[in-house]
Amino acid sequence: MISLVRYLAADVFRGQRYLAPVIVFLGVMGMLFSSDAGQPLEAYSGSSALLYPIAAWMAVVVATSEDAVRREITVVSAGGWSRVLTAAAVVAVAIAVAMALVGAVWPVVTNPHPYTAGEFFVGLGAHTVCALLGVGVGLMFARPVFDSIGRTVLAVFSVVVLTYPLGRATPLGWVLDALGHNTFSLSVVWAGVVGAALVAGAVLVGVRRA
Amino acid sequence: MDGYLDGVLLDQVSKRYGRGPWVLRDLTLEVSGPVVLTGANGTGKSTLLKIAAGVLKPTSGRVVRPASVGYVPERFPSDVKMSASSYLAHMGRVRRAAANDVLERLGFVGSLTAPMSELSKGNAQKVALAQAFLASDVLVLDEPWTGLDPAASAELVSLLEGRTALVSDHEGHFASATRVDLAGGHVTIELSRVVGLDALEALEGVRSVLARGSSARVVVAPDRSDHVLAEALRLGCSVRSVR
Repeated sequence: MISLVRYLAADVFRGQRYLAPVIVFLGVMGMLFSSDAGQPLEAYSGSSALLYPIAAWMAVVVATSEDAVRREITVVSAGGWSRVLTAAAVVAVAIAVAMALVGAVWPVVTNPHPYTAGEFFVGLGAHTVCALLGVGVGLMFARPVFDSIGRTVLAVFSVVVLTYPLGRATPLGWVLDALGHNTFSLSVVWAGVVGAALVAGAVLVGVRRA
Repeated sequence: MDGYLDGVLLDQVSKRYGRGPWVLRDLTLEVSGPVVLTGANGTGKSTLLKIAAGVLKPTSGRVVRPASVGYVPERFPSDVKMSASSYLAHMGRVRRAAANDVLERLGFVGSLTAPMSELSKGNAQKVALAQAFLASDVLVLDEPWTGLDPAASAELVSLLEGRTALVSDHEGHFASATRVDLAGGHVTIELSRVVGLDALEALEGVRSVLARGSSARVVVAPDRSDHVLAEALRLGCSVRSVR
């Protein structure tokens, strides 16, 4: 599994499609924290909300990095779809967690408000939860669940856009609501559980569809 | 899917995509040496190979294959950014297999460190073959001679000698292999008032018998269909359809 994860990660980084979400993430982060972003946890809400669609985008990039034919070779070499889709999910989550770390560290460096270690870890956890939710949405609609990249983009974009107006009705809303009130609540943990379940569910759906 | 470690067994495999027409129907095939699939375009060769390799699941039927299968698709993608050496090293680690000399034997010419998108069609095909030969048990190769020069084609034949391999080939490169012609297809005979089911199953050319109450669907090799029909009538069955 480690070899497979290394191969899929190398393939993602050899291509250049990962650059677009990374650049958008870093650019918007720069804009968000160009001035006083508010209280420590409150400041994290903007970057957490940003990380959700970026992680979904990155998950689609990871899932479709190999074209369909090369993915077939990888599936046969690795011994089945479940291994390959699990490895792809691991790569997507690892990249998303790295971006969550950047999102959590950035305001500590740039925001004029001082951060305690506790606030930093709450922020890191909140970012990770939002990243997991994004990865879950991205993988749920990427190949092999949807074969066409057009349908994938449309479905992921629709779900991501619809998530925000639903507010506290979604796990993302639980996280953003807690951060917006400069507090931490158990709902953030539950949102993380939903995010992990979404990623696992996307892998299972992919294995069934393949 | 374990327990049949010498080769691949496809047992009454059928395949259709969605609600489309049947691409394969009740096909049984045992691969325990070199086997070449022949047949016209659209007879289901690539679909059968994907099922044998484990890329596709059959709609019905059973596939038993060993753990280590090597697969070459009909067209290896031409836009791979990774270099050949990096790709083969990764595939070797994924399989936990040692590097082989297949590239050298096939006469690979070009840069191993350049992106594979810069390789010629023939050299890219040699890379595809090299990764498949990392497998230790069975090879499933879809038109593997595509793009190869005569020397490489002959070398590929010698590499395949003695291996358990299921290969599609239009041009007769691998004369010593067992040939299976998918174009021949099969004849399906629907019977009613069936008596002597065991006797029907035992007839030469009968590939499968699916009994439903007093009716049965019998799948027969085309060259034996007349004989099976005559025997079914002699046994007292009624023939509802032959297709």
